[in-house]
Amino acid sequence: MRKPTDRNSPWLAATGCIASVLVALIIQASPTRLVEGLTIMPTWTLMAIFLWANVRPHFMPPIAVFAIGLTQDLLTGAPMGVWALAYLVSISVFRFRGEDGMPRDLPPVLLRFGATLLLAHGIAFAAGSFALEQMADLQPLVIEIVASILMFPLPAYLVLRRRRSRGSGFIGG
Amino acid sequence: MASRRSTRHDGDQGVRFSRTLFIALLVVSGALIAFDRPASRSAPFASFRAGFTDVSAPLLDLVAQPLRAIKNIGPYWRRQGELAQENARLRQQLIEARYWEDLAYRQRDRIEVYEDALDVESAAIEDRIGAWTVADPRGPFVRARLIGRGSDAGIRDGYPVINLYGLVGRVYETGRRSARVLLLTDLNSRVPVMADRSNARAILVGDNSEFPRLDYVGRAPDIEPGDRIVSSGDDGILPRGLPVGEAVATRDGGWRVRLYSDQAPVDFVWVWPFRRVTPPDQEVEAEIPATEGPLIADQLVIEPAAESSGEASSLGEDADQGAGNGAGDDVAASDGTATEDNR
Repeated sequence: MRKPTDRNSPWLAATGCIASVLVALIIQASPTRLVEGLTIMPTWTLMAIFLWANVRPHFMPPIAVFAIGLTQDLLTGAPMGVWALAYLVSISVFRFRGEDGMPRDLPPVLLRFGATLLLAHGIAFAAGSFALEQMADLQPLVIEIVASILMFPLPAYLVLRRRRSRGSGFIGG
Repeated sequence: MASRRSTRHDGDQGVRFSRTLFIALLVVSGALIAFDRPASRSAPFASFRAGFTDVSAPLLDLVAQPLRAIKNIGPYWRRQGELAQENARLRQQLIEARYWEDLAYRQRDRIEVYEDALDVESAAIEDRIGAWTVADPRGPFVRARLIGRGSDAGIRDGYPVINLYGLVGRVYETGRRSARVLLLTDLNSRVPVMADRSNARAILVGDNSEFPRLDYVGRAPDIEPGDRIVSSGDDGILPRGLPVGEAVATRDGGWRVRLYSDQAPVDFVWVWPFRRVTPPDQEVEAEIPATEGPLIADQLVIEPAAESSGEASSLGEDADQGAGNGAGDDVAASDGTATEDNR
């Protein structure tokens, strides 16, 4: 008899991974300022990368993280390489390692994401300032960090709940 | 439990990635940051970026459409009670606007008569190109918007972009079907402006805040709070007189500008295909091919050695031919006199 984790196609998980990252990238660049009162934008892209990198690491190799960061640079008009470098380093440093992988409790995941977020934005600030040849604007970065910390528990909770109900897997896992 | 652990180990968490590839990607990222600086971006990088936005613009436009549909829900809901008052006020403004419209037509006719009389070519006013904003990333590094039309519609780098109320920015990255607009609030934005009342000149400097700064205003600038700030056209890139905003005094004695374009969401904009009018002195230089050298008559007088030695400059040859015709001496003499007079 096949194990529960084998019953679902990895293609479904791969599709979910690609779709979520794509949606995150598009939302990140979308003209939300057109909507009154909605000017705060969390880093959805980093959330997607972080969750997939810990739930399904083989879907999120460094080359994929780099490509996502580069796409975000191009979509948002930032100097190329800024977010690519930030995501690459921060995800590599704070990725859950070992056999147990990502814990099934929310607090350690939130802590790890917070550290990833701070490191990513710190690197982006330094690299962006270097590319612009002047200090980058700190305020939008701080707003992004706060908005991301406030928003992250919801997707994290959904992912952890899904993992608990599906054994080790996530979507399709 | 054991089986779950082994599954994770085999399929998920036991993943190890190539360290060499990781380091290579770090190096590539660093190189991209170093070579894709906005201040010194090379043409291949710029065209790559423009090509990418061309590809992504239709997708972003698709996402932006539902946002456009709901964008006015908030203000509309809030303003329900004010609609009658607003309607009356707009009717009054319309009556006043008709007077200004008549005046504008009369002034236009008058200017045309003057231009004909003086044989002056004014700035070309072509049809404005309308475009929707398809992406509005509010990142820390650049304040720019992506619009859904590009060089196919006639848009070029440097063209000013305006909305219903005033200047929004200028085009700085043009693809075939999309273009990126650098906003006035961006760190790299510098626009020469003036106060409409006093003609006091300044440079509008973006600093990523909502109120860009007025720099180079002088020690005692003739600017007052509420002054209408317009583009001065001094750089020749932007036309003169585009409404920018109104002056706001800061606590430290400086000046900032409250942008008119912020009065409404910048969802639909016009790109103005503005062509700079070449000043007459530059026209003369532009008409002479570089190989012929500068046609400055006083050089013929000031540099007699070059003329007398018969060096093979085309200018010298022309002068010699003129002398052979018996007219060159007169020309040189008259020009030389004029040069002396000017001195």
